[in-house]
Amino acid sequence: MSEIKGKLKSEIERLLREDIVDVVIAFRKEDSPLRPQPAFFRNTDELTNLEYNSLCQNNLANYLTRFPHDTRIGIVVRGCENRSVNALIVEKQHQRENLFLIGIPCHGIVDIKKIIKKTGEEVTEYSENQDEITVLVKGQKVTFPRKELLHDSCLRCVHPNPVDADVLLGDPLPEGDPSIARQAVKKIEAMDRDERYAWFQHETERCIRCYACREACPMCYCTECFVDHAAPRWVESDVSQGGMQAWHIIRAFHQTGRCTSCGACERACPMDIKLTYLTEKLNDDIREVYQFEAGMDRETQPPFASFNLDDKKRFVI
Amino acid sequence: MTYILKKKKINQVLKGWFKNYDVYAPQKVEDYSQFFRLTSADDLVLNEPHNTRFPPKALFLPQSESLLKYDRKINQLKEAIPTPKPRIIFGIRPCDAYAVTLLDTVFNTEEYSDPYWKTRRDATIIIGLGCSEPCQTCFCTTTGQGPFNPEGLDALMTELEDSYSIETFTEKGEKLFSDLLLASESQQRKAQEIQKKAVESMTPAFDTTNLKHNLDQIFDSDYWATISESCLGCGVCTFLCPTCFCFDIVDEVQRNERVRNWDTCMFRIYSQEASGHNPRPTRKERTRQRIMHKYSYWIDHIGEIGCTGCGRCVRFCPVGLDIRAMLRAANTFESETINA
Amino acid sequence: MPEHDHNPYNPIPMHIMRAYYESNDHSLKSFELSFDNHKDSEAFFKKFNPGQFCQLSIFGKGEAPFGVASAAWEGEFVRFTVQKLGTFTQQIHQLKAGDPIGMRGPLGNGFPIGDWKGNNLVIIGGGCAFSSLYALTKHIQEPNIRPNFAEIIVVYGTRNSGLCMYKNDIQSWYQRKDMQIHQAIDIPEEGWGHHVGYVPDVVKDVAPSPKNAVAVVCGPPIMTKFTLPVLVELGFSPETVFTSLEKRMKCGIGKCGRCNIGSKYICKDGPVFSLAELQSLPNDI
Repeated sequence: MSEIKGKLKSEIERLLREDIVDVVIAFRKEDSPLRPQPAFFRNTDELTNLEYNSLCQNNLANYLTRFPHDTRIGIVVRGCENRSVNALIVEKQHQRENLFLIGIPCHGIVDIKKIIKKTGEEVTEYSENQDEITVLVKGQKVTFPRKELLHDSCLRCVHPNPVDADVLLGDPLPEGDPSIARQAVKKIEAMDRDERYAWFQHETERCIRCYACREACPMCYCTECFVDHAAPRWVESDVSQGGMQAWHIIRAFHQTGRCTSCGACERACPMDIKLTYLTEKLNDDIREVYQFEAGMDRETQPPFASFNLDDKKRFVI
Repeated sequence: MTYILKKKKINQVLKGWFKNYDVYAPQKVEDYSQFFRLTSADDLVLNEPHNTRFPPKALFLPQSESLLKYDRKINQLKEAIPTPKPRIIFGIRPCDAYAVTLLDTVFNTEEYSDPYWKTRRDATIIIGLGCSEPCQTCFCTTTGQGPFNPEGLDALMTELEDSYSIETFTEKGEKLFSDLLLASESQQRKAQEIQKKAVESMTPAFDTTNLKHNLDQIFDSDYWATISESCLGCGVCTFLCPTCFCFDIVDEVQRNERVRNWDTCMFRIYSQEASGHNPRPTRKERTRQRIMHKYSYWIDHIGEIGCTGCGRCVRFCPVGLDIRAMLRAANTFESETINA
Repeated sequence: MPEHDHNPYNPIPMHIMRAYYESNDHSLKSFELSFDNHKDSEAFFKKFNPGQFCQLSIFGKGEAPFGVASAAWEGEFVRFTVQKLGTFTQQIHQLKAGDPIGMRGPLGNGFPIGDWKGNNLVIIGGGCAFSSLYALTKHIQEPNIRPNFAEIIVVYGTRNSGLCMYKNDIQSWYQRKDMQIHQAIDIPEEGWGHHVGYVPDVVKDVAPSPKNAVAVVCGPPIMTKFTLPVLVELGFSPETVFTSLEKRMKCGIGKCGRCNIGSKYICKDGPVFSLAELQSLPNDI
């Protein structure tokens, strides 16, 4: 890991020194334990703050839509992030020529909530290698196998390698097993209608409409989100069952064919809602019906965002 | 007076309260705790080192509440002022209880008393649980309170080995516990030791001496652009904050109700005007407003910082922003540019 | 009947007494509201001061703040002039005489008229923001109140003559000996006998003296922005220049936080502020 960080630092130094980019989006050291932050590097002397490890839990592609298209941006991308970048390019939210993708094959993001569940919140230090995570809690060192702490989305990951990086730091990793991704969906499909509704209710009733999921998602970049539209008001504004359920379902549907299963939404949620259960189902359906996965290349249009004369017209006729 | 409540007797005491009061206490939801009405003493969660995930301000200012109901056809309105049963909030942390007294200065003013807030407030007895092991993300001593701060409480519990020592401060608190045995000298001493140790374990998170002045000075500077760059502009910090109170008023047509919902200055549409003009057009202005309001404008209004150091914004910010670091940077920012 | 005098969120039940267009293009419409209950009108006029505003409320559509455009002596009604700008104001425009409407108020501080006694008043308004200055002028014209002030100069500019509000009443002001009225339009029109030009320039021309004078400026932000320096140049000190601020409001009583700027809530500490107070506020408007 520290080897990757060293390579990353050199690469970012090069990009800035040789004026290849105006800004590099990466991560910086934590202010509070276990929390490295997304950061924007414009000068090489800022790089003493650079961080890269499995605690870097945000999808950096989210920040691309904040910059004008003519900004030359370097960005650290892991598997799902690269696909998010591609998905944004397909939707014309940025231009590939102005981006420099620093690819890092990903061993998975560690879910801080899983660490805290096992050790409590008083973690003061963290270290990792490919197989193990070690934390210091109240003076005691505790070690866990990496797999035990990976975020659920990463356990299901099929594409850990950046598909379109300009430079690759680290050796490519084997692709994941798509049937594992299916398992999460199968579990809910196995429930009967009442059980499913109870699950859905249980997950949505905790929602506090903070929209952290929306703001953490690279594909939610609409200048006016449907929930904010007030005249007419499409969705109830209050924390009523109807309002929250509508919010969850409609946001998931707006992600159909665009979501790259990065799990950033779930990690951002302060109420521990397992948001990906909806998007994973829709991703699964799109894979099955259209053989499509978002962001695997820079050209293919997502099935629900494009129209082709060859499209099946069964629903019309 | 200080009483002793044996842990194995809690169930009994609670059952006694259930007869005359609704009791709200922390209960488990998924992996965290939240204040709900207690129906069984078995659901009580008092052993977490930290406060509940969702702030108990919701017990006085619900996230959504109906202000009035109306019948559009004949334009009659029906007030929806709550008439709560007498209730006890049991196990609230001192940071959250003090936050409620800060919110009193907003909602319980002489000129416009908010009846929705007031009826709940008047019907409530507040029993606090002090924090014997403050978390590394807590900074209540920095904001002027502390892990066993009594302000805002009718009684305060300190956890001992197999019991709680309970210090009562008001008549309301006294009434609830007067049937219990008084704490012995040594028990009171033990409680005081625990409290002292907790306070001493906390280090200052940032310097508050000139904080307001420093923030006011750098209002127009680059400082805000840097710290807000990674901010997502979501509502996590504001909704989980026990002192944030901004709300929106909306007519919910399908239910014929005028509702108020928590709102946040972090959302773009919060300050958007009908003409299309937005005085806080980018994240920079909005992040600035949040910090200025809490650490500078609150001081203009009541002479105190509007933060009680509960640490939720630090723990749950999706991008790891730490307000303590941001304020430390604010304190030193001006001097850096002068020396530059 | 709900006890709305102690629930500040409850609108007072009112009815539209009269509704009439002010501007030729129908973008501005005045509504005169009568009280359903006499008790409410008593309570209202006890507190009312020109420069205050009210939240008008249509159930199912929402609420919005509007400056009061009438003086207490005009009768037991409250006038508002509404510009059709968004969905809510569109709804208001559709109301006609006899329709019910809710009103919360009076809210805000209003003009500190008591402090201005003995002074000359320079009243400068532009566009539809003139409505609260109209209330102020009407209030001062009352025979018992007029002697408290010396000279009154009113400058009122609009884009064109069609947009001018309160046309008939203002026409009568030219006949009055106790005030000066200076109307202005942006571009020349045939038959227009008054000033042509933007309000800041007209104020320069009129050149009111700052001696023992107080200036009040209400208009679109750009007009205020350029008028304030003209007054400063003429010698007005920041303590003697007043303006009324607008910002997105919801509760109107200093609780929802929306209209907060620096140490002030525009709904409660304002909307009227002196230039001196404004200058101490952060740049957040």
